[in-house]
Amino acid sequence: MSKAKTESKNTKKETTGNVKIYIMGSAYEVPATLTIMKAMEYAGYKFTRGSGCRAGFCGACSTVYRKEGDFRIYTALACQTMVEDGMVLTQLPFVPADKPTYDINNLTPSANTILRFYPEVARCLSCNACSKVCPQDIQVMDYIQFSLQGQIDKAAEESFDCVSCGLCAIRCPAEIPQYHVAELARRLYGKYLMIAPSYLDERIKEIIDGKYEDGFKELMALSKEKLEERYKNRDKE
Amino acid sequence: MVNYSYFPGCNLKTNAKGFEKSAIAVSKKLEAELVEIPNWNCCGTVHTMTADNLMKRIAPVRVLARSRKHVEELENSSQDIVTLCSMCNSTLKIVNSEVLVDPEKLEVINFQLEDDEETYSSDMEVKHFLEILRDNIGFAKIANKVVKPLKGFKVTPYYGCMLLHPEEAKIDDEEMPSVLENLIESLGAEVVFSPLFKYCCGSYHIVSDEDIVTRQVQKIIDSAMIRGANALAVACPLCAYNLDQQQKMLMEKTGKKEAIPIFYFSQLMALAMGEPVEINHFEDHKIDPRILLKELKFK
Amino acid sequence: MSYEYIKFGQEEKEFIKKIEEISGQNIYSCYQCGKCSAGCPFSSKMDLTVNQLINHIQMGQKEKVLQANTHWICASCLTCTIRCPREIDVAALMEAVREYILREEPEKVKIADIPKDVLEKLPNIALVGSFRKMTG
Repeated sequence: MSKAKTESKNTKKETTGNVKIYIMGSAYEVPATLTIMKAMEYAGYKFTRGSGCRAGFCGACSTVYRKEGDFRIYTALACQTMVEDGMVLTQLPFVPADKPTYDINNLTPSANTILRFYPEVARCLSCNACSKVCPQDIQVMDYIQFSLQGQIDKAAEESFDCVSCGLCAIRCPAEIPQYHVAELARRLYGKYLMIAPSYLDERIKEIIDGKYEDGFKELMALSKEKLEERYKNRDKE
Repeated sequence: MVNYSYFPGCNLKTNAKGFEKSAIAVSKKLEAELVEIPNWNCCGTVHTMTADNLMKRIAPVRVLARSRKHVEELENSSQDIVTLCSMCNSTLKIVNSEVLVDPEKLEVINFQLEDDEETYSSDMEVKHFLEILRDNIGFAKIANKVVKPLKGFKVTPYYGCMLLHPEEAKIDDEEMPSVLENLIESLGAEVVFSPLFKYCCGSYHIVSDEDIVTRQVQKIIDSAMIRGANALAVACPLCAYNLDQQQKMLMEKTGKKEAIPIFYFSQLMALAMGEPVEINHFEDHKIDPRILLKELKFK
Repeated sequence: MSYEYIKFGQEEKEFIKKIEEISGQNIYSCYQCGKCSAGCPFSSKMDLTVNQLINHIQMGQKEKVLQANTHWICASCLTCTIRCPREIDVAALMEAVREYILREEPEKVKIADIPKDVLEKLPNIALVGSFRKMTG
């Protein structure tokens, strides 16, 4: 659990009243039951950027805020975090970062590949500011260090939950675009290191060989009502 | 059996694998096993000599704190963090002594480490593996474990800067060291003294000013070869890379005929103690040490 | 023979103070014996020797100090530091000049200009070292 999230949960007041928040410096009274994103819309803002899935997966709505009487910078995904009284906040509609292009087919899964595209990884100061801001509670510094050590598998696994919101890159004193590095590490892992499951090849072969053709044909021939009935009675996991 | 909390440093996982694997193998044989710290971070390689830049001291202090935690979990361990890379060794040692004499510095750094529950309290000692070999194991015990004496090996010990400088980090006398010499002799090899035993290899200048490194390497190698050495023993992955790769480059560019292989001291130990030759990863060396092994009929 | 007048105004004093602050050394401890330059493995590559550079710092000649390559050639081997009879951390003075510059212009080594094939073969220890010494 990141510090920001834990605290906001603990201090959340069970109230239905209004709270006062500051959006880019202007004060607004908003209902305490809203998320930051909904509160901003309540206050009259309309999102053309900085909003996406509204479910905590797409990473588009990074928010930076401080609280009254607290020097710390807090970060969150606006769609996942409730407003608190005294929040001073702004949205980050986009995080600028260079993203080199590469052909994943011609690389080797090594530290030097990471350093070729992201030499700034070698500037990491191990300050851990990146892990502290991560709304996904990823140990960002650790996966950057794993990348530097050439432990691509560990880097890929540690960064798996990354939604590419870019907050780490904004806070980094070494100016590393961590989330892009993580993407490269995961691609290298998927392409070169991950053991491909044997059943995947088997299933692909079955599909190519036409094993499911009859099943598809049967489904295609069904009426809408029959399809709905089948859907309702399907096997659920 | 003693277990040591071992900090590898980035290079022992990438281009100096032979250094790590051979050292771990001999450490087991000598009943002083190097056990890797889980989840370690880069120490920063070079120590900042500024008085005011604490940012650059966070990484080494974090390493010390993580090692401290590791020691608590390790059975039968000492309060030491052991390194193989001499640059890590000096960076960690210097910072460790800095925060010991200046607790205010430590307090500021700890403030940054607090949220991660990785604060440090100046209660670790940093040791280079060579110090463990000399002080805790002893060369007599090492000589006892030698099954294949290194006959015909004429080895120049090359300390580089960071094993002997500065005062806080040195593992031996800075102008007249003997630890590598004694180790090489205990393995049955001949020591060939070179006055350039700690003449800087050019270090990180390899990134942006290769000529500096070339010039330094040429002098270091010539000085050893003139005196009849057929190998160099080192303890630093950056020295090793520079000395090895620049010799190859000189052969290709200037038609220089002769070169001598660069061994990590632990590779020589592994050879003498009869470990399988593969653990040394000689295939990663530009000047292949296996040619020398063949010449000397070492099996 | 030409003479150069040495200015010693506010600007010069501030420069000296800053170098002393970053390095934690007393610049006037140096009595110019030259032992640092004699033992330096890189002296021949430097346009000013180490003791010459220190002399310019003592005189507050900021431009001369900043234009020299001495502090960039220094690879922090610390031979000077352990040999200084006045127990000055000479290498820390070199570091202080580097830091003085890097705090204004943070990229002595332009990371984007390093050829890709070089990045692909160099050990990471070299890159970490170089970036810590040559970028701010």
